[in-house]
Amino acid sequence: MNQPASHAPVTANGSIKKGPIKRISRQEKVSVFWTLLLIVIAFIVLFPVLWVGSFMFRPDSAMFARPTEWLFEPTLVHFRYVIDNGFIGYLGTSFALASISTLLVVVLGTPAAYAFARFNLRFRDDLFLFVLATRMAPPICMVIPFYMIFSNIGLIDTYFGLTLAYLTFNLSFYIWVMSSFCKDLPVALEEVAILEGHNRFAVFLRVVLPLLRSAIVATGMLCFIFAWNEFMFAFMLGGQQVKTLPVAVPELITTQGVRWGPMAIVGTLSLVPVMLAVFLLQKHIVRGLTMGAVKG
Amino acid sequence: MRPLESRWYPYALLAPAFLVLVVVSLVPFLFAMYLSFHQINFGRVGDFAGWSNYSRLMDNERTWNSLWVATKFILIAFPLQFILGLGGALLLNKRVWGRSVILPLLFIPTMMAPIVVGLVWKVMFAGSWGLLSYNIVERFGFLEGTSVFSSPDYALLALALVDVWQWTPFMMLAFFAGLQALPVSPYRAAAVDGATPMQMFFRLTLPLMAPLMVVIGMLRFIDAFKVFDTIYTLTAGGPGTSTEVPSLLAYRMSFEQWRIGESAAFAVLVWIGFFVLCSLFYHVAKKKLNAF
Repeated sequence: MNQPASHAPVTANGSIKKGPIKRISRQEKVSVFWTLLLIVIAFIVLFPVLWVGSFMFRPDSAMFARPTEWLFEPTLVHFRYVIDNGFIGYLGTSFALASISTLLVVVLGTPAAYAFARFNLRFRDDLFLFVLATRMAPPICMVIPFYMIFSNIGLIDTYFGLTLAYLTFNLSFYIWVMSSFCKDLPVALEEVAILEGHNRFAVFLRVVLPLLRSAIVATGMLCFIFAWNEFMFAFMLGGQQVKTLPVAVPELITTQGVRWGPMAIVGTLSLVPVMLAVFLLQKHIVRGLTMGAVKG
Repeated sequence: MRPLESRWYPYALLAPAFLVLVVVSLVPFLFAMYLSFHQINFGRVGDFAGWSNYSRLMDNERTWNSLWVATKFILIAFPLQFILGLGGALLLNKRVWGRSVILPLLFIPTMMAPIVVGLVWKVMFAGSWGLLSYNIVERFGFLEGTSVFSSPDYALLALALVDVWQWTPFMMLAFFAGLQALPVSPYRAAAVDGATPMQMFFRLTLPLMAPLMVVIGMLRFIDAFKVFDTIYTLTAGGPGTSTEVPSLLAYRMSFEQWRIGESAAFAVLVWIGFFVLCSLFYHVAKKKLNAF
């Protein structure tokens, strides 16, 4: 347990000799087994996604085959359908909506998160609990009153209305996670800047914000993904003008049956920003998804 | 007073966000409360109705059914997620190669749009030709010719398995983060004392991880209770009401039957329930994990 995994031969002058024999120690052999096991698990977990991904190129005859056809001649016919039926437009809507709401969340949420982390607020626990409860409330509970209010003031099927609705879960999520990042900042820098005569807001802008940059990007990206993935608000409060990709998915269940091929394409398209975010943010994601509770 | 302290400044920083949160969260809640005490016909608010919306909700069999369905769903899905997640985390914590490649891949089910998760499993279990329905369900004689999602006996079980698929990676990664943060010295001491790996796991790892497990468990519990998208795509609550969880019931009540008053009452009650759960979660997380 206390011994290093391998003993690299060291030459007289202290540099590590590149020996011709690379002996595999017992511990490393064990790790080959665990690595293989992990790869197998990852493959099993991802297999359904890969399988459905193959439907993008699968002709209808190969989809419904019994027994299952593992190999097939690829076709691009489903892409034609996706393009002809305006799905690229829904992609744009999704992107615009997620970007606008994320931007707004960052602008509104960053100062609030900083305030929570740094100051002794009266009613801090109560205010924080309010933020928390806003995030946790089931969307269906929100969508009923939202629907009634929006249909009375003409906000159904507008970008503004959906952006407002998205703020319920994303703004509260952002404040929550960001305040845990803010707590990690050293307070000394800010205090020095204050003593040098800078005003408080200038300190926030010039000292705190630059330090928070990577945390803002990470948390903001998670907010983007949540907005991108959101279904119920977009489904009930959106409609024809503002139709996002997740809302377009069930539309492929037509009276002539389900369009499986186009569904696979739309599903895969919706995965692109997710994959991107996941690879860029892997260090921050656990903390983000567990909302600051785990300092991962 | 420290130089950063000031009476009004922190509140000025909070104000814009809180103004918005009050508009998008407190106002809808109060409005739902208002709706729940009125008669609502075709989207128009009518007469004051007292507690009648609440009493009709309580008399409705489907209300209680939905809570029971959610309970069953969580009872099947949660322990599986928890155990598989913990096992996976222990595995990730071993000396393995290529962790930085495998880790992000494992996040994919958790980060996917739930509606797409529903779609993926719709394909896997589709009718008579889906990969799993043909090769497993049919071959081993569970069901023939129909989808598991249209069988009252299997639908909820299948939905729970989809939830396990979607959320086990999350549990795994959260527990892995917890394992990585464990202190080293107790393990050194235990090794010196000649403890076996089993002893170390039960005497050290489990107790040290317990607070984190409680918090993650509560988080998942809260999430599992509000599941909607995947169930909406896969069974829409059916067959009958066998997979009608509370979110689905509220959706059907309000947007299919237009019983807005009753569903507003339902929303208010669920909301209050969630608020209690949240404050519990907050206090536990704050005390046990020093989070927040």
